[in-house]
Amino acid sequence: MTQSNTFIDPAVLATLDNLEMRARVVVEGFIAGLHKSPKRGFSVEFTDYRHYYQGDDMRHVDWKLYGRSDKLYIKQYEDETNVRAYILLDSSASMSYASDGMSKLEYGRTLASALAYFIMRQRDAVGLITFDDKIRDYIPAKARQLHLIRILRSLHELTAGTKTNIVRPLTELAMTLKRKSLVILISDMLEDEHASIRTLQQLRAMGNEVIVFHVLDEQELHFNFNESTEFIDMETAESHITSPAAIRNAYLENLNTYLDDCRKRCQTSGVEYCLLNTSQPLDKALASYLARRTRSA
Amino acid sequence: MSFLSPLFLLGLLAAAIPVAIHLIRRENPPRILFGSLRFLKQTTKKLILFQQIQQWLLLLLRAALICLLVFAFARPLFYEGSIAQLLDAEPQSTVLLVDSSLSMQYGERFEQARQQALQALEGMSAGDEAGVVSFAEGTLAVRELTTDIASLRAFINNLPAPGYERVRFFPALRLANDMLEQSRHEQRNVVMISDFQASGMTGSGGGENDAGWMLAPGVSFNGIDVGDERSSNLSLVDVRSPQQLMENVVNQNVVNENAVNESAVNESAVSPDNGAIGPTSPPAAEEQVLARVRSTGSVLQAQGEISLLVNGEPQERQTFAFGDRSEAVLNLPLALDGSGAYTGELVLAGDAFDIDNRWYFTLDVKPKMRILVVNGDPAEDWYDDEAHWFLLALEGMENSPFTATQVTMVQFASAQLDQHDAVVLLNAGSLSNDRRQALENFVTGGGSLLLAPGDRVDAASFNQQLANLTPAQLDEVQVLPGNDYLLIADVDRRHPALRALDVDWSARFQGYWLSDPVADGSVLMRFDSGDPLLLERSVGDGRTMLVTSSLDLSWSNFPLQGLYLPFVHETLTYMIQPPQQQRAWQVGDMVDLTSAFGDGMSELEVTEPDGATVTVYADSPFYRARMPGFLRTANDVNVAVNIQTGAAELAKVDVTLLTDRILNPDTTPEVAAGVRTAQLIAELEQPQRIWWWILLTVLVLFLLEAWIANRTYR
Repeated sequence: MTQSNTFIDPAVLATLDNLEMRARVVVEGFIAGLHKSPKRGFSVEFTDYRHYYQGDDMRHVDWKLYGRSDKLYIKQYEDETNVRAYILLDSSASMSYASDGMSKLEYGRTLASALAYFIMRQRDAVGLITFDDKIRDYIPAKARQLHLIRILRSLHELTAGTKTNIVRPLTELAMTLKRKSLVILISDMLEDEHASIRTLQQLRAMGNEVIVFHVLDEQELHFNFNESTEFIDMETAESHITSPAAIRNAYLENLNTYLDDCRKRCQTSGVEYCLLNTSQPLDKALASYLARRTRSA
Repeated sequence: MSFLSPLFLLGLLAAAIPVAIHLIRRENPPRILFGSLRFLKQTTKKLILFQQIQQWLLLLLRAALICLLVFAFARPLFYEGSIAQLLDAEPQSTVLLVDSSLSMQYGERFEQARQQALQALEGMSAGDEAGVVSFAEGTLAVRELTTDIASLRAFINNLPAPGYERVRFFPALRLANDMLEQSRHEQRNVVMISDFQASGMTGSGGGENDAGWMLAPGVSFNGIDVGDERSSNLSLVDVRSPQQLMENVVNQNVVNENAVNESAVNESAVSPDNGAIGPTSPPAAEEQVLARVRSTGSVLQAQGEISLLVNGEPQERQTFAFGDRSEAVLNLPLALDGSGAYTGELVLAGDAFDIDNRWYFTLDVKPKMRILVVNGDPAEDWYDDEAHWFLLALEGMENSPFTATQVTMVQFASAQLDQHDAVVLLNAGSLSNDRRQALENFVTGGGSLLLAPGDRVDAASFNQQLANLTPAQLDEVQVLPGNDYLLIADVDRRHPALRALDVDWSARFQGYWLSDPVADGSVLMRFDSGDPLLLERSVGDGRTMLVTSSLDLSWSNFPLQGLYLPFVHETLTYMIQPPQQQRAWQVGDMVDLTSAFGDGMSELEVTEPDGATVTVYADSPFYRARMPGFLRTANDVNVAVNIQTGAAELAKVDVTLLTDRILNPDTTPEVAAGVRTAQLIAELEQPQRIWWWILLTVLVLFLLEAWIANRTYR
């Protein structure tokens, strides 16, 4: 596993306005931390056989063919460039919450940029869907380099919207997907997570790889408020005055119940779930993506 | 309920602070845009209710904390009455008796007494009243009962220093008792601050009977002893010194002291010029002063030194040691030089308390009294001769104060009367006109005349020629028949001449002159028949006396009686020398200075021992002696004043004994000042205990507030 201290702190990243630069910093740093990863060259598909030569990886020997012909043939692979990844970034109002430093939306935008950069670097196709209670931007998955520019521009221009509706973009995406894809959801999933996860389960059932990056703020995770405060819901504008110290335990209890529920539901349906704290570096997210991509290979 | 510090109640306004904070913060809490309220809103209604209760409870607790603190500082007092009533609970009336007697001059006793009195005042509460009495043998200064403690304090601070009087407790206690009868409070106390000399327990001396006397019921007594536990003192408790001596005695003493003056003594003892008869006085016993010295403190003063000063000059000095006793009688020889007035002084040395170390006395040395005895009809037989028996009585004793000159009627015609103090006419009734006139002039001018008509005088001639002098007219001779006789039955025993003869007279009289007293004549002695035996008459500045019986054995056996000689001496002395005025007084006495006034003096200046002068007037010739020493009048009369007997006795009486003696059985026992103070404090604190409970509650509430404030709902 990589060490977190080798990555750039999100607060530092936030000072970089250029998303491409930000994505590059994240990804290059992440890759540098991988060293000689055995997972390189995984994005390929079988095309033909060739004779075995000394030094070939024995895992690529076609043993069934060896049984029939008694000769060692090595599966010949060809780089797969048409793996499609769709990044769905929640841009609802709640994503703009930031207790200190980077907001969830900013964090998600950086993550989305880094992932897009990373995927494009692997010569895979990547698309982007930004949404709140409706899809605000849709960029189909393509592998061209200029496509990354478009994605980054879209991310750069993205602002926080209003309410959240995750089910709707996921459903629309599912309807458009014609082949197995990698669906990456970046959201705080504060609204109707049950329906959202059910939709993700459906995507997963359709053969897609699904990764959920559950982005939450440090204060949302630990609720370290002290004095009596009037809390205002960023999506509904509903307010609630309370003494945080008095309800902290109850809040955290409710939150943990919610997070556990999310995690379990995702795990039981094969959805990769990754909880992200906006105060932590992005390596965790990239590592999760890499692990999922490896398994899918 | 009342408050001792009600101004602190203004602090209740501070209770509004948490309420105000609550309200302000409630209206303007910080607003935070938050991602979602779903987890906040998921907190249960119980939690919200808990929160609300918690907040209100905290608000209530904080307000209550402030209120209770303010309440505690305001010092609430749960008492049925008012604060004033509480502070004045059981108000008292107290009389402070401050001993200012002589013994209080010992060490720092009086200053301690003053401080104790001031301290007693400090311990009084508002509403209490007190009075102050400075006392010794009597009352020296009084401050009536008053609630003005400041004036009492000033009074005590200005109390005069202790004088020289002895102390008597009962007059002061009686006064205090009387003062408390007028007190306004039921709680009445007498506080006596003294060194509690044992001698103070003696009676009041004012005619009141102190035996069994005690304070009124309900009057408590508290004795504060300022006497030192250890005291050491030498005291002259008694001195015996002669007050009057005759010249020959003095001269004899001088002979003993200084043989060079022997001839002079002899010459003064005998008067050859006037044909004095009788034996020359034999050497008299040496005159002396006896002094009783006692160690009166609690610690025996083993030894000391005593000096005798005469007219201010040291004459004798002795050292003495008590040995195993605490008292010694010292004998100091006294040497005087001729007639005159002397002052003497005994001075003790060797102890620290000097007040009682001096004893003053005066001494007059008188010349012999010159008596002219006129024998009107000398008898052939000596036993029938009146002059024989009379002269025997005059000079037939050692150191006789008389010088007698016997003359016949013929010699009497040429006698110089002014050279004699008294003339005695024995059986002489017929005088020439010249002698009669001379005799009248002599008596009128202050001379004395004793008439003893005897059995051989002519009554008519006697009555005629001595009509202006005799106390009574002779009537007739009364001679009892057979062995019948008369006795002396009535004697004026208060008369100065007869005061010393207060005994039973056994003389028997068979004959006498029946007499008729003149208008200004008084009868001093009577027979059992009622007839006068001795009469007296004042004539001019002189005095005459008449004996109606004979002074020989012809009519009575009187010359053979033991009383004959003192009778002669006392009557003549009375006639020649006026009654001796008291010359030794004690501090506190009203000194009678009558004898110090000369003819025509209307006032007299008296110099006190400390040099101060006072004027005494003839219409009230008395002076109250206030200190020991010599009073000197302007006409050189010295009067000795000494401290009172027992005034310097430092032996103490136990206060409890005095308390038991005077405390009325119906009086509730007096508690000690400390105990009463503790009781008062307890009484005062009892209604204030709520303070502690309030503060304890504040502490509990504070802990509760901290616990609740950190409490979260689970």
